[in-house]
Order: sequence, then C-alpha cells, then structure tokens
Amino acid sequence: MNDYIVEMTNITKSFGDVKAVVDGQFNLKKGEIHSLIGENGAGKSTMMKMLYGIYPNDSGTIKIKGKEVQGLTPNIAIKDGIGMVHQEFMLVNELTVLENIILGFEPTKNITIDFDKAKKEIQKYIDTYNMDIQPGKKINQIPLGEAQRVEIIKTLYRGAEIVILDEPTAVLTPQETVKFFEILNSMKADGKSIVFISHKLKEVMEISDRITVMRDGQYMNTVNKEDTDIDELAKLMVGREVFLNVKKKDVVVGETVLKIDNLWTSGEKELSKIKGISLDVKQGEILGIAGIDGNGQSELIEAITGLRKVEKGKVILDGEDITNKSPLKIRKSGMTHIPEDRNIRGLNRKLSIKDNMIAVKIDKKPYSKGLVLNNKEIDSFTKDLIERFDVRPTNPEILTEALSGGNAQKIVVAREVDADGKLLIASQPTRGVDIGAIESIRKILNEVKANGKGIILVSADLDEILSLSDRIAVMYEGKITGILDAKNGNENNIGLLMMGGKLGHNDSEDIGGNL
Amino acid sequence: MVKRRTFITTKSPNKYINLLLTTLVSILIGAVIMLALGHNPIEAYIQLFKGAFVGKLNLGTTLQKFAPLLLTSLAFATAARAGVFNVGVEGELYLGAIAAAWIGYTFTSLPGPILILLCMVVAALVGAAWSYIPSSLKAYLGVNEVCVTILMNYVALYITSYLVNGPLSAKTGVPQTPTVAAGAKLAQFMKPSQANMGLFIAIGVAVLVYWILNKSTLGYKFTTVGLNPLHAEYIGIKPEKSIINSMFLSGAIGGIAGAIEVLGTYGYFLDNFSSGMAFDGMLAALIVKNDIKMVPFMAFFLAVLKSGALGMERYTGVPKSVVDTIIAVFIIFATMEALFAFLQKRKAKLVEEQI
Amino acid sequence: MNFDSIFDYTLIYATIRAATPILFAALAAAITEQGDITNIGTEGIMLTSAFAAVLVSYTTGSWILALIVSMIAGVLMALIMAVAHIKYKADITAIGIAINMLALAITKFGIKQFLGTTGSFTDPKIVGIPKINIPFLEGNKYLNGIFNNWSLMEIFGIVMVLLLTFLLYRTVWGLRLRSVGRFPMAAETAGINVNRMKYQVMIISGVLGGLAGAHLSIGYSQMFIENMTNGRGFMGVAAMFFGGANPALAWVGSLLFGFVDSIGGRLQAYGWPSQFVLMLPYIITISVLAFSMWRKKRREEKAKSSLTIATVKN
Repeated sequence: MNDYIVEMTNITKSFGDVKAVVDGQFNLKKGEIHSLIGENGAGKSTMMKMLYGIYPNDSGTIKIKGKEVQGLTPNIAIKDGIGMVHQEFMLVNELTVLENIILGFEPTKNITIDFDKAKKEIQKYIDTYNMDIQPGKKINQIPLGEAQRVEIIKTLYRGAEIVILDEPTAVLTPQETVKFFEILNSMKADGKSIVFISHKLKEVMEISDRITVMRDGQYMNTVNKEDTDIDELAKLMVGREVFLNVKKKDVVVGETVLKIDNLWTSGEKELSKIKGISLDVKQGEILGIAGIDGNGQSELIEAITGLRKVEKGKVILDGEDITNKSPLKIRKSGMTHIPEDRNIRGLNRKLSIKDNMIAVKIDKKPYSKGLVLNNKEIDSFTKDLIERFDVRPTNPEILTEALSGGNAQKIVVAREVDADGKLLIASQPTRGVDIGAIESIRKILNEVKANGKGIILVSADLDEILSLSDRIAVMYEGKITGILDAKNGNENNIGLLMMGGKLGHNDSEDIGGNL
Repeated sequence: MVKRRTFITTKSPNKYINLLLTTLVSILIGAVIMLALGHNPIEAYIQLFKGAFVGKLNLGTTLQKFAPLLLTSLAFATAARAGVFNVGVEGELYLGAIAAAWIGYTFTSLPGPILILLCMVVAALVGAAWSYIPSSLKAYLGVNEVCVTILMNYVALYITSYLVNGPLSAKTGVPQTPTVAAGAKLAQFMKPSQANMGLFIAIGVAVLVYWILNKSTLGYKFTTVGLNPLHAEYIGIKPEKSIINSMFLSGAIGGIAGAIEVLGTYGYFLDNFSSGMAFDGMLAALIVKNDIKMVPFMAFFLAVLKSGALGMERYTGVPKSVVDTIIAVFIIFATMEALFAFLQKRKAKLVEEQI
Repeated sequence: MNFDSIFDYTLIYATIRAATPILFAALAAAITEQGDITNIGTEGIMLTSAFAAVLVSYTTGSWILALIVSMIAGVLMALIMAVAHIKYKADITAIGIAINMLALAITKFGIKQFLGTTGSFTDPKIVGIPKINIPFLEGNKYLNGIFNNWSLMEIFGIVMVLLLTFLLYRTVWGLRLRSVGRFPMAAETAGINVNRMKYQVMIISGVLGGLAGAHLSIGYSQMFIENMTNGRGFMGVAAMFFGGANPALAWVGSLLFGFVDSIGGRLQAYGWPSQFVLMLPYIITISVLAFSMWRKKRREEKAKSSLTIATVKN
C-alpha cells in the first residue's frame, strides 16, 4: 500500500478529434503541495478537471483515498473532499460573498437559509488561515485578490481536504503572491493537500514539495523539489531549449504616433477605472504595458480603440484627434488592434478563415465595389495571407472555430498587420497559444516595429514585456505608476510598480508618468 | 480548387437529412392524430395532395398562396440574418397593403405599370418605416424585439381596421376600401383561381434578397452582426446600423407582400384579410433555420399544405386545423438543433479552452 | 369629458381585474427569466390552458377540476419547450414562437373537435371560478365596490407575488436558481444540477401560465375565443422585463397595463373610436418596455466594455 490520497493512472481524454491528454499520471500525498506544470495546452487543467469530475476521462483509473471512483461528477468530488479554484472564478457577480460561499451547501433554518450560522462557520476559516474577506459585499464590489480568497474559503467550507488551484498567481502581484504562499503553507500545516497548477517555474520551485511535468498531453516526470532546478523543469516542459527572448532590434525612433493625454474612463465596476493616464508611443518603438490583469489595461485599450467611451482627456493618433470616434473611424485613421479576447472580439468563430481575413477590408476596393463583393480578389488576398503568416490548415473555407489557438491568433495577427496602420495595439497577443506560434508572433511584432510603426504591447506575462518592449509603462489601479526604459526594467522594480509602489530615482528615467 | 462561396456558415450537409427526417416525423405525427380521430390518414394525405395540385383551381390556389408566403418568409429570414426575430411582418404586411390600396384607388389617372410600381414602392416604404420602431428600440435600447413586434402587430391591425371602417372605407357596409384602378391590378391567370403576376414579383424579390444576403457587403455585415456583434463592432461594422438596415429590408418585403395581396388577389383592402399569413411565412423560415436557399422550397411546401388542407377537409372531414397542428409540430422539431444529433459525427470542439 | 367618471373608486378594482391575467403571465415569465430562459411561449401556454379550462368546466361542471386540468395543460406545453430547449438545444425564442403557433392550432382544432363550433364558444354550463362576496360590505357603496366581488384568482395572484418573492430571495432553492440564471458554470461546480433547475422553473412557469389561462377563460370571462389571449402573454413578458424579473416589480408593471386597459374601456364611452381604445394597452406596453430598457441602459452604459447592446449568440 502507499500513502497517496489521489492516484490518477493511464488517463486519456479527447475532445472530438483532438487529444487533450494522451497519457496522464498524477498522484498526491496527504499534506503536500504538489505542482503540476506544463505549457498552455499541455493538458494540466484537463487532468485536474477530470479529477474534479467536470470532464469524464476516456480511459484510465482515478483513485481517491485508495478507492477507485467511476462516473465522477463535481458533486461526488466535493463529497470526497476535493475542491477546485478555477482560473476563471466561479463566483456569481450579483450575489454576495456569503451567498457565493454557501451556494449548494446552504445551512437552513426551517425552510429559509440560516445566514447567521453560515457567517459563524466562515469566520472560523477567516481566523484559522488569516484570510480577510467581507462576507456582506457583492462579488462585483471586491478586488480580484479577495475573490480568490473567497474561492479558497468556498472549497474549505465544502469540506475540502484536497484543494486544486489552477494558475492562482496569475491575478496576483509578486508581493501578493508572497502573502498567498503563506496561506498555502498554513493550509498545508493544517493537513490539507494542495495541487498547484502553474507554468511559472520560479514560483513552483518556491512553494512545491513535488513537481509533475506534462507536455502535449503526456506525463513527463515527477520529481522532488530538492532534486531539480528551473533549467531541468523548463527542458522537460518544452522538450527543447527555447529562446523566446527575441533579440531586440534597435530601430531609429521617429515621431510620436500616439499621444494619450489625461485619459479617464469607466469600468465594469467602478465609474473611473482609468484615472488620468498620459502616454505616448513613437514610430519604431514597442511600448509595453505591464500590470496585473484587471488594473485597467483592457479599459485603456478599449478607450483608445473606440470600444469604450472616453470620459475625459484626449487620444491623438498621428496628429488627429480620435477621442470617442467610432471604431471604424479610428481604424481609418491608422489604428490596428489585436484584441485580448480573440474568440469574442478578434474572430467571428462561425465564419470561415476567408471571411475573417477580409473583415476589415470588406468595404475597400478591389475587394468590393459599392455593394458588390469581388470574390476573386478576396480569395487571392486570403490565400496570400494564409501563406505569408503560415496559417494551418490552409483551406480558406474552414470555420475558424475549428482552428487551434495558435492558428486562430495568427489570423487575427495577419489581418491586423496586413491592414498596415500607423499604430498596432497587441493585447495579450500570445495568450493561450503554443510555443511555435508564440515565437512567430513575437517575430512579427519585431518586424512591424522595424517598419517604423508604433506598437503598444499589453501583456500579463512579464517575460514577454521585458523581452519585446523598448519602454515599459506599469499600470496599477487605473494609473501609470511608472514608465521606464526597458534596459532598466527587471522583475523587482516592475513588480514593485505593479503593486502601486514607487521607485527611487536611480531605477528609472521617468517615474510616475501621469503624476 | 476551392469552391467560390462566401460567408454562409459551413454547416454539415446533414442538415438536409435532418430536415427530411423532421418532415417525415411531422407527417407521421399528423397521421397518428388523424387515426386517433378515426380518419384514414393515407386518404387524407391523398386528398391533401389533390387539393393542392390537381386541377387548375387547386394548383392556381397553391401558387396564389405561395407568393405572399415566399415574401413573408424572406422578410423573416432577412432580419434573422442580423440576429433579429422580426415577428412583426404581419403588421408590415397590413400597413403595406392598405397603403397600396389607397394609392391604387386614389391616383387612378396614372398609367397602369407606373401605378403598380408606385403602389409597390409606397407599400415597401410603409412596411420599412413601421419596422424602424422595433429595430431602433432593439438596436439602441436592447428592447426584446419579439415582444415589441408582436404587440405592434395588434396596433397595425387596429390602425388598418380604423382606416378601413372610417376614412378609407368604400362605405358599402363591408369593411373594405374602394377597388383599385383597373390598371393597378396584377393580371390573374389559371382562373378561376386567384393566381396572379404577384408570383413573379415575389420570385424576383427572392432573387434580389438572395443576392443581397449572400453576395453583397450588406449581407456580409448582417451576417457578421448576427453571429457576433462584439466582433462586428471591433472590425468597424456598427451593429446598430446593420440591425436597422436588415429590419428595414425585412419590413419593405413585408409591405410588398401586402401590396401583392391587394393588387393581385383582392383588388381592395379588406379588414383582417391576412389572418396570420406572415406567421406561416415565419414558420417556413424558422423550419429551414433561415437558410435563404431553402426558404422558397419550404414556403412552397407550406403553401401546398395550406391549400391542400381545404380539399382534405372537404372530402375527408379532417379539420384543416390538423394541418396547422402538423406545421406547428414540424417547426417544434425543426428548432431542435440536437434532435438528430446521433446522425452527426461529433464535432471537434475548440480544445484550447478546455485544456 | 367627465374625468370624475373615468377616475373614480371603481377604477381600483377594474385595474386589478384587468391586471390579473397579465400578472400570472408576468410571474410565469419572471420565474424562468431567473433561470436565464426568456419564456416567449407564455402566450401559447396561456391560450392552451384557457381552452382546457373552458372545456373541462363545460363538460364536468367543476371549476376546480378545470383549474387543475388547465395547469396540467400549461405544464405540458412548458415541458415541450423545456425538452426542446434544454435537451435538444432549440433556440429559446424560436421554440417559444413555435409553441405559440402550436397553441393556436390545437385550440382551433379543439374548439371544432370537442365543442363543435368555430371562432368562439360560450355556454351557461361553463362554471366560472367563484367570486368572494362578503354580504356585510354590500351595504356600503364604496366598500362594496372596492372590497367585494373579488375573484379567487385575483387574490391568489397577490399571494403568488409574495410567495415567489419569498421563494426567490429567502430559500435555498431561490438562491440556487438565481445562481443558475446568472452564472450556470458556478452553479454547476457547486454541485447544482443546472438542467434540473431549468426543468423545474419551466414546470412552475407552466403552472402559472395555466392559471393565467384559466383565469382568462373561466374567471375574467366565461368563454373561449380563438386567440383570446390577444397578446396578454407578451404583455406579461413585457411586465417581467419592466420589473427586471423581480415578482413584486413585475406586479407593478402588470398593474400599469391593467390600469391603461380599464381607462381605455371608459374612454370608449366618450366617443373614442374603438380601435384606438383597443390599441392603447399595446402602445403603452411598448412605451413602458422601451422606457424600462432605457433606464436599464443608462445604468449599465458606463460599465460596459462595449458600446453596442446587441448580444452574442452561440
């Protein structure tokens, strides 16, 4: 016998024709923090979603506490003491923190919900693990970090002994992460077992007891932290040495192409999400915008591109005032935009590659004249783009919903780069795409820059920002906390700015852009 | 080589099989209902077929019913392309009809063809203008268009009823307008049926609509907005504009349908004449899921059922509301996307989100 | 025009009387909307039940039996919708419209087949839902006018508003339903069976829609007419939108429509063409619907990450 609390052996899982997990192995000891690492699409979330009963596994066995379980559903998993904090929080915005925590496991008094009893119980967890939350507030009134604590308390309230955390640090600053790890360690000390899904190797090395690596749906290895290092893990994850740090091209920086002056705009939850941002982008430079997700980057980009109303301030593109102009007008003025969510904004998934490629040129000659479409021109245009940007499959009639993340993103990149604007906004351009596509998309961005265009790069991936940008602006709570030259940027000083901190003068050339 | 086609979403060829199966199931259910009522379903269906096709009168009646059905189903499918459920075609049809009648009996001095053209244009404009109310409410305020268009049908019906009983009445005791000028009438053929040249106008409109929806930038925009308005907005297509344009076109087609009924079938506007013609058109469009190529066939099929039902009722005693029930059952099955899913290969879902 | 005779104390009762069928429809739509199903089929559910009520009341002479059968009929219609939408992925608007067409067809068929007539049916043998009469109040003209002669259903409608409010905001079931409607994935990961919840609300919607129909044909009147709902189901959906799926606010919406309806009836006595009187409730409904969505949009406008209000269909 062994002391594993969870054992998953020879797991496979396909979605249609796509094999998500080919050979999954994973086991968990009681009271350990076990990291599950791999690239996007390596199958790590799928593995854990099978353990939590969201997807049924096609084959293989899952044992929980030594007992083989079949036909797992979230309900059974919860009863077996498994809790999962998803990457996307499973919290209902319009309900209160308290209601969210007890949902599905409500204490009752006669036929009504016993809110007092629930409050008392939750207080227990708040005290034990030192997690402060506000039970009376609605989810849409609390910050992301707190929402994450709510998610963890939710799993504990449901009696979880095994807590699966899917990329939990993605929404945290480096400094918040330190506090978060303290919580995890106190949970571990309390006998809870934790699965930590991540691809940030530094964090993995810091928090884990053991580490399991997956690649392309396959189990690679499980190692003790003491016996490994970051380089070995990276090689296991990717299968080869990777150089995502594209060599920066030094390009002569030209005129200012975009000027943002004291911009204010509202957000989903707050009236003023962006509070007076000023920025400029010059020809031939990449301005990276760093920051934890949700600090106003999306709203800033939407305001610039005409997808969100600007309340105050000005946006000037190449001398032309485009504040609050329509998205079409702004495009015509020379703005191109790779949006952060390719599946909603970026692509029309129910239309073909061709229809998506031509989207921004539909009213332009020679692709149409008046109301009449010229299919011949559209076909040859699409074929040319598919070839130039190496989109696969190459059949232009295929629906984009059938494409992999990387190829779908290439369509968006191809369309926007080909539109040949004065400024390119690339918002999370490599999120959820495979390594190959990451490399080629980063190369393309550098080429665009070399052609003298201005680029704004928004990314939650600090490495991406550091390796591509010429200047880096850091956003925190709707403000720019600092703009620094990429040469002076590193994880420490940018991390500090991401938390709203300030730098000493020797760290940066230009501190607090808008202050 | 790549086939040249444009922005009709590629669906599995199985949709035709689905449709066929749905048709068969509905006919079977109809047969079961008839059996339960003590009728012979085979006899009833034979009479239905005869009632629709055999004899000049029967075939002519089928064709006469087909024209407005074709137009109203096109009207519904056009708006649906941009994601709008236009249940208000009935109202557009009524208002278009009364406008055509008024022009037709007022400007009698105009030469026939010009008068007909004027009637059609004015009817189309009136229908289109009426559709602007629900479309702008939907586009700018997000008001549920199904509710608004249904309620507006009642308003349109009462407006025409008021007009035909008051200011525009022929004062004959029957709630109808004076008869339009002889030159404004669409020539009838296959007498004694009321089949008329409106049929060819309807077919012409169908060709035009097909071209607009599938071969023009306007159609591309409707499609984009209908499938993903957020994407449309981002690539620089105004969803509001496409919603309003598609409804404008839809309303115009509805208005023309009304004009054809007045100029071709009746010669005047009769209170309450349509009794749900546009709803039948909507059903035809819904059954084929707004596939514009299939719409004419389904409209014709429903016209056959409708006109055949009369003969069936006369000769077998099966009430014609049984046919309405069959059509309703038909549409219920047709809306179920996953009904015959076992026939389809499971589609590969986008994996990226699931991993 | 004599305003006193339009706006007098009897208007209170007339308003509630006219509002009640719409209220039941609004509640039928509100409960499903909480589960993220916009029940366009309310109209058809109502119509079918109205017919069932008249048929059973006429043949058995029992209004209780009629009420029960009409609820069953409503549930059956709602279940067709539920199965088509939940199990077979039918678009909810399309199946709603289809159900309305089916209701029209089968009631038309039924009136001919079972009652042997077309168009409309009325008969002294139809037993209506009783009214509550308190003899003690009859002496006073005002008390009698306001508090007497209420139909059982009119009182029950108000009870239902309170009951549904309690159910939605105080009970486990209500909390779960609200989570299902707003974020089904969150509900699912909490171990809640989302589809079962959806079936449950559709069944409740069928019961409420059934009551709406029965009230229309054997409470409000004692007859059945082809398409007698005449858009009241849609007015109910409009009242639901007006109240943002909250039962109490939906009731306010229904009262508003009932009020316009009663005023209209009185205006006819002053020489208004009947057509204008008849279209008044529809116009007011559309206006109110537009107004409430305008208000909602103003509230949300700033927060949204998009300037368009059109939504993505999947």
